[in-house]
Amino acid sequence: MPHKAMPNLHSVAPAAPVAPATAPRPVALELRDLTTVFPGDDGPVTVIDGVSLAVRAGGTLAVVGESGSGKSMTFLSALGLVAAPGRVRRGEVRIDGADILHQPPERLRRLRGAVISMIFQDPLTALNPVFTIGEQIVEVLRAHQRIGRSAARARAIELLARVQIPDPARRVDDYPHQLSGGQRQRVLIAMAIALSPKILIADEPTTALDVTVQAQILDLLADLQAETGMALVLITHDLGLVARYADDVAVMYAGRLVETGSMEEVFTKPRHPYTRALFRSIPRLDGPVDEELPAIEGQPPNVARLPPGCAFEPRCTVGRGRADCCTRRPLPLAGDRSGHRSACFHEDLPDRTEAIR
Amino acid sequence: MDRLLRQLSQLAITVFGIVTVTFFLVRMIPGDPAQYMLGDYATEEALATLRAQLGLDQPVYVQYGLYVLRAVTGDFGSSVVTGRPALEEILFSLPDSAILAFAGLVVAVVIGIPLGILTAERQGSWSDMLIMIVALFGISFPVFWLGLASVLLFSQELKWFPALGASSGGGLLTHLHHLVLPAGVLGISVAAYITRLTRSAMLEVLGQDCIRVARAMGVPERRVVWRLALKNALVPILAIVGVTFAWSLGSAILIEVVFSRPGIGSMILKAVSARDYQLVQAGVLVLAVAVVLVNSLLDLAYGLVDPRLSTR
Repeated sequence: MPHKAMPNLHSVAPAAPVAPATAPRPVALELRDLTTVFPGDDGPVTVIDGVSLAVRAGGTLAVVGESGSGKSMTFLSALGLVAAPGRVRRGEVRIDGADILHQPPERLRRLRGAVISMIFQDPLTALNPVFTIGEQIVEVLRAHQRIGRSAARARAIELLARVQIPDPARRVDDYPHQLSGGQRQRVLIAMAIALSPKILIADEPTTALDVTVQAQILDLLADLQAETGMALVLITHDLGLVARYADDVAVMYAGRLVETGSMEEVFTKPRHPYTRALFRSIPRLDGPVDEELPAIEGQPPNVARLPPGCAFEPRCTVGRGRADCCTRRPLPLAGDRSGHRSACFHEDLPDRTEAIR
Repeated sequence: MDRLLRQLSQLAITVFGIVTVTFFLVRMIPGDPAQYMLGDYATEEALATLRAQLGLDQPVYVQYGLYVLRAVTGDFGSSVVTGRPALEEILFSLPDSAILAFAGLVVAVVIGIPLGILTAERQGSWSDMLIMIVALFGISFPVFWLGLASVLLFSQELKWFPALGASSGGGLLTHLHHLVLPAGVLGISVAAYITRLTRSAMLEVLGQDCIRVARAMGVPERRVVWRLALKNALVPILAIVGVTFAWSLGSAILIEVVFSRPGIGSMILKAVSARDYQLVQAGVLVLAVAVVLVNSLLDLAYGLVDPRLSTR
C-alpha cells in the first residue's frame, strides 16, 4: 500500500493549534457546525448535531460509528442531498475555504460530481437498471461538460479501463445486471472520478461486497487517490479498514462527533468510552478461543429522544451514574495539541468492564 | 421467437376462454330470440320452426359444441336481425370504434403521463394537490355524465362541436371535428386514471438509490426526472396503458351511445336488446381479442424498455 507516504500529523481540526513536522497540505473539505433536522412528532429532531470536521487534500478521513449514528447523513447534508422534509439547519460546508451550502441549487449541483463526489454502499441498486453503464457515465460527463456523444463515449471507455474493468470497449454497452457486484462498484467509482473531483466520499463502499473484492476496491480507491491527490472520506464501521487506509478518524455517536484524531492516536490511545468500547468489541486473533466478545450494552439511542447531556451516558461503563458526568449538556470536543480530541473528560478513568477482565 | 410463440399460445387460450364465457353469458340473458323476432302474436308453430332453424331447440351443450366447432373455422354464425355474417358486421363497424378508442387513449396518454410526472416531481406542492383533486373528480364522474355535460356545454351553448354522429360522409376535417368531443371526453376520463398511476410509479422510482446517485453526481434535476427516472417507470406506466385500453374500449361503448356514433358499442347494445346471440358473441369476442392483442404487444414492448426483461 504505497498510498500513505506522508506523515500522519495533520489534524482533523485545523482550528486547533497543531505543529506538524512538514507543511500540511491544504484543507480540501471542511464541515463547520453542520446540523441537520427532520420534523418529528414533538418538534424537529436533530439527526446531525454540530459536526465539524476537515479533510486535507490527499488525505483519508475515516468516519466510524454504528448504523444510524449519522455518518452517511452528515455527508448527504454536506452535498445538499438531504431528502425533504429533512433540512440542514445550521453550519457551513467549505471547499477550498468557500462555503458551498448557502448557494443557489444550480451552483451546488455543478459542484456535485465535479468537485465533490460520492459513492454509495450498495452497488447493486446504485446503478440505473435500464441504461447501459456507458450511458450512465456519459450522463455524468455531459452534466458538467460540453462534450460530444462520441467523445463522451470514448472518455467513458477510458474511465472503465482506469477502474480496471476488463475489455472496457465491449463492457461499455453492458447493462448493470450483466456485471458482478465488484464490477458495478468499479463503474460507480468511474462515474465518481469522471471529472477528477477534489473530494470523494465513499459511503461504506465495500459493505455489500465479498471480502476478496473489498480489498481490490479499496486498493483501487487508494491508487486513484495517490494519482490525483484527492481527499477521501471513508465512511465505514470496519475498524480494520480504518487501520489500513485512514490518516485520520472521526467517531460518531447519535449524530454527534465523540472523538477525532489521527488514526495512530485514536487507535493507540482511544479516549472516549464509546471509542474504547468499539475497540474492545473487535475479535482478536490472539485472544482465547472461547472468549465471549464484549458487546456494548443496551441499544443505540433513538435520536428523537436523546438525553440532554452525553448521549452515550446511559450505556457507558465508565461514567454511567457518576455525579460528574455531562448529564445536562453534551461536552464539546476538547483535546490537546496533537489534535486528538474527545467529548469526554473521563479518559483516564478505567472502564469497569476492563477492570473485571 | 420462443417468446412470440408463448405469447401466441397465451392469446389462443385467452380467446378460447372468452368464447366460452360470452357464449354462456349471452344465454343467461332472459328472453327468447325467436319471440323477439316474430313479435308477441306469433304462433307456437312459427316460434318452434324458427328455433329449430336457429338451432335453439338443441340442448345448450350441443349448441356450445357446434358454436366452438364453427368458430374454429372462422364461422361465427349470422346476425338474426340482418342475416349477414356476424363477424363481418362487427368488423365492418370496428374501425369507427377503434378510431375513437385510440384517439381517446392518445389524449389520455398525452395528458396523463406528463401530469403524473409533474405531480411526482412536485409531490406535496399546491399544484400537486390541485391536480390530484381534479384527477379524483375525473375518476369519480362516470364517462357518460362527462359526455352529456360536454355536449351541453360545447355543442348546445358554445356550438363549437357537433353533438351527434361521426360524419360518415364528410372529409377528414369534418371527421376530426366530430371526433374531438367524444375522444376528448373519453381521453380526459382515462387521463385522470393514468395521471394517478403514473405519479405513484414515478414516486417509487424517484425514491430509489440510483436516482440519489445521479443527483450526487450532479445530473440536472430535469434530466434525472424526465430521462433517468422516467425510463424506469415506463414498464409500470405501459402496464397501466394496457389496462386502461380495455377500460377505454368499455367507455367507448358508452361514448358511442351518448354521441350516437356508429361503432361496435352501439351495435352490441342493439344486439343485446334484440337477443341477437351471434352478433353479441362476435362483438364481445372482437373487443376482447383487441384488448388481449394490445396487451401482448405491450408485453413485447417491456423488453425494449427494460433490458432485464428481454434477456429472460
